[in-house]
Amino acid sequence: MKAIKIFSIIMLFFAANVSAQQISSADLQVTGLTCSMCSNATQKSLETLNFISSVKPDLNKNIFVLTFKKDANINLDLVRKKVQDAGFSVGGLTANFNFNQVKIDDKGQAVVDGNVYRFVNAKSKTLNGTVKASIVDKNFISGAAFKKQAATANSDAYASGTGVVNGKKNTYLPFSSFLR
Amino acid sequence: MKKVFVLALMLIGAYTNGFAQELYVFTEPASNMPTKSIGVRITNEGMFNNPGFVSRTIPEVMIGFNKNLMMHAQGFMSDMDGKYRLEGGSLYAKYRFLSLDEAQSHFRASAFGRISTSRRPTYSRDINLEGDNSGVQGGLIFTQLLHKLALSSTLGYAHAFENYDRQIAGMPQPKNIFSYSLSSGYLVLPVVYKDYKQPNFNVYLELLGKTDPSSGQSYLDIAPAIQMILNSTTRIDLGYRFQAAGNMDNRYTKNMYLLRAEFNFFNVLK
Repeated sequence: MKAIKIFSIIMLFFAANVSAQQISSADLQVTGLTCSMCSNATQKSLETLNFISSVKPDLNKNIFVLTFKKDANINLDLVRKKVQDAGFSVGGLTANFNFNQVKIDDKGQAVVDGNVYRFVNAKSKTLNGTVKASIVDKNFISGAAFKKQAATANSDAYASGTGVVNGKKNTYLPFSSFLR
Repeated sequence: MKKVFVLALMLIGAYTNGFAQELYVFTEPASNMPTKSIGVRITNEGMFNNPGFVSRTIPEVMIGFNKNLMMHAQGFMSDMDGKYRLEGGSLYAKYRFLSLDEAQSHFRASAFGRISTSRRPTYSRDINLEGDNSGVQGGLIFTQLLHKLALSSTLGYAHAFENYDRQIAGMPQPKNIFSYSLSSGYLVLPVVYKDYKQPNFNVYLELLGKTDPSSGQSYLDIAPAIQMILNSTTRIDLGYRFQAAGNMDNRYTKNMYLLRAEFNFFNVLK
C-alpha cells in the first residue's frame, strides 16, 4: 500500500454501485453500540449483504473489517442501511480503493467508470494503486463530524448533497462520495 | 506532549466505547429490537403482598419491523385469583423518532403505546397493564448513553377500561394514572471484549413511580437488578422492586421479584 495520507472522498454516484476492483476492503466504525448483543445484531445484519465475503469484528473498538467478494457490485449505501437496520449508525468508513491512473483535477474531482469522486484534501495529482480513503459523506460519519466537515469542506455540494458535474445537477447524498 | 494526550484520549475512547448497558429489566429502552429480528421472553414475577405469595408468568414475543418500529405481544397467566389461569394479554408498540449517535454517546427518543386486556377485578388504584388491568397507555422514552453509563427515562399516561361486571363492591375503580421512571445501567464484565462468546454482566438500578391524579395517591419503588448476556443472544435478568415511598393501598407490585430469560434471533424475518 502506498504511504499516502488518508484522503477524504465525496463520491458523486451516477451508477449506484462500485465494482469490487475499486474497493477491496473497508473498516467500518459503528456508533451507538452498547453491548455484545448489539454488535452481534449488526454483524448478522451485515452478513445478509451478498457482496460481502467476510465480517470480522473488533468488539472493543466497535469496528467491523469488511472484505468484499471479487467482481461483485459493492453498494456502500446498503452497508450504511444494514447498520441502521440493526439500530445503530456509521461513525466512519475507511476503504481501500484501487485506482488505476486516476487523475484528480484542480477542483479535487476525479471520474472513474462514471462515478465522480471528490477529494477533500487532494488536488491536481494522479492516483495509482491502492489508496486508503475515508468516506466523509453525511451518514458515513458522526453528526458532529459532519457539521465540522461541512464548515471546512468549502463546498456547497458537501452540505447540500447536490452538485453540478459536466453542467448537470446531480443529487448524490446519502452516499455521494467525498473522500478524505 | 500533545500527541501523547491525543493518543491517551484515543485509548480511553477505544476502551470505553460500547460498554454501557441499556437493556433495562423493569422498563424498556428507547430502542431494543433490530430490523427483521425476533425476540422471545419468558418472565416470572413473584409478589409477597396480597395476602400471601402469588406469581405471574408472562410469555412475550418481540418483533423489529424496521429500525424505528418495534412491537411486543404478551400473555399473562397467574394464580392471583385462586387457581392458575390465563388472565389476559397486551400489545405494545414503540416508534423511535430521534437518534443522535456519536462514538461514545448517543441519545434516542421513542413514543410508545400499549393496549391490554385482563379479566381480573381491581383491588388497587395502581393500574398495571401487564396483567392486572384492561386499558390503554401512551408515553415517551428518552435513553442517553454516556460512556459506561446508560440512563433512561420513561413518562407514561394510562387509562383503564371500565369493568363493572367484574367489579367487587367497595373496591377502587381506577381510571387514569401517571407513570414515570428513571433507569440506570452499567456494564461490569467483560473489561475487555474479545469475542461474542464472552458473557456480559450488567447491573441496574431503576426508580419506578406512579401517581393517581384523581386521589393524589402515589408511590416510588426502588428496583435493583442484575443481568447476564450469553453468546450475545441470550439474556437472563433477576430483579427485585420494593417501595421507597408511597401511600397507595393494596399494591401487588410493592414487593416483587422478576426472573426473565430472553432469546434473540437476528435477521430471521424476510
